[in-house]
Amino acid sequence: MSEQHILRAFDRDLEAVQGLVMRMGGMVETAILDAAEALAARDEDMAEKVRAGDKAIDALEERINEETARLIALRAPAASDLRTALSVLKIASSLERVGDFAKNMAKRTAVLSQMHDIPGAGGALKRMSKAVVQMLSDALDAYNSRDVALAEDVRARDREVDQMYTALFREFLTHMMEDPRNITPCMHLHFIAKNIERMGDHATTISEQVIYLVTGAMPEESRPKADSVTTVGIEGQ
Amino acid sequence: MEDMRLAERTASARENKITARGVQVFYGTNHAIKDVDVDIADRTVTAFIGPSGCGKSTFLRCLNRMNDTIPVCRVEGRIELDGEDIYDKRVDPVQLRARVGMVFQKPNPFPKSIYDNVAYGPRIHGLTRNRAELDEVVETSLRRAALWNEVKDRLTSPGTGLSGGQQQRLCIARAVATSPEVLLMDEPCSALDPIATAQVEELIDELRENFSVVIVTHSMQQAARVSQRTAFFHLGNLVEFGETGQIFTNPRDPRTESYITGRIG
Repeated sequence: MSEQHILRAFDRDLEAVQGLVMRMGGMVETAILDAAEALAARDEDMAEKVRAGDKAIDALEERINEETARLIALRAPAASDLRTALSVLKIASSLERVGDFAKNMAKRTAVLSQMHDIPGAGGALKRMSKAVVQMLSDALDAYNSRDVALAEDVRARDREVDQMYTALFREFLTHMMEDPRNITPCMHLHFIAKNIERMGDHATTISEQVIYLVTGAMPEESRPKADSVTTVGIEGQ
Repeated sequence: MEDMRLAERTASARENKITARGVQVFYGTNHAIKDVDVDIADRTVTAFIGPSGCGKSTFLRCLNRMNDTIPVCRVEGRIELDGEDIYDKRVDPVQLRARVGMVFQKPNPFPKSIYDNVAYGPRIHGLTRNRAELDEVVETSLRRAALWNEVKDRLTSPGTGLSGGQQQRLCIARAVATSPEVLLMDEPCSALDPIATAQVEELIDELRENFSVVIVTHSMQQAARVSQRTAFFHLGNLVEFGETGQIFTNPRDPRTESYITGRIG
């Protein structure tokens, strides 16, 4: 809907609340990249900054919730306006979760920095983080421009992140079997990998909200999944 | 539409009470209604929405031949009530209007007592045999209109002495006194305050147990609150007609979307 409301203040309210979501998205993307960088570089100061920064993300989510509640109460949005209001709430909630995962990565970085390095893990997790940030960024761009094709593309890309996670899972298992001293760092690294994989799921959720917002219907659940970790350990896997 | 809305709100598959096909209305040379097909379900509230001049009131007035009273008005097409053509020559419009009652925008009680306002219809249609029966109809109708408790001690006072909201409920009591099968309401709450509006809306929801209600309203929120099915009219066309929840969350036609979201169409 490119047309404007007769009551222009309604447009301003809707734009303002969506602007807050975009700002929140930017903060979350930065948090992920910084957390991944801190992990790879074993930079505890940077990790601490990410942890502290999560408060601002949480506060922004609360503000979005309040503004959206006001908008629903005062403007009684219908049709695509209603879907916009609902999608704002859902996307903000997804972003808040992603922010928590970044914070958790930063927390574990503080611990991991005290332990011996697992070669290659930091770099692999950084690549995985970058892929997820690209998904998130594209999902939010798709939201901003109501671009269903881009949203579908993000959904499809979640498969790549799943594959990266599965590969890392096997790698960490191997390290742990080789040397029990690797177990503690590898457990932390595995949780980080899992959390990044979950971020990808949230980027997918956001893409689905874009599709719902534009078409009025949720996409069919036929998304390709490549997270085969749940069956790892079964003979022949 | 499969959804999780409360059962009482769902527009269940009821029989059609009124079936309109290819309805055209002309006021002189003005083509006010253009080839409209509508099914009004039994015991369901159907809302007609649309901007001023879209034809929603005109169409409503076709349903009990109220347009017959306008000399330049010409109605074409077929409108059936329970399968019978209401524009058939053998149909008496007065009898028809006893079956298809109407409530107007402005409360218009007769300059008579509260009792006589409600008793008017049953009297002229000879629906009651004696005073006791008439008393009962008056009381039942006033109760249905949620007015009985407020007026039971002053039934002989003039209806025009009531407040606006009470007057409108009196008009609704008058309309239901003949036990119509369909109740047409043309902006019944536009002259009422929010409390009286809420009372009338509650009443509409209760009337749905026995009647088919068709309401024309400028308040989209009112349409959303009281109806199970909504029809959107624009420039004499029926643009979209569907389950109310669907119309207000996911309209199919961009003109409906523009209208209900308050955008320039």
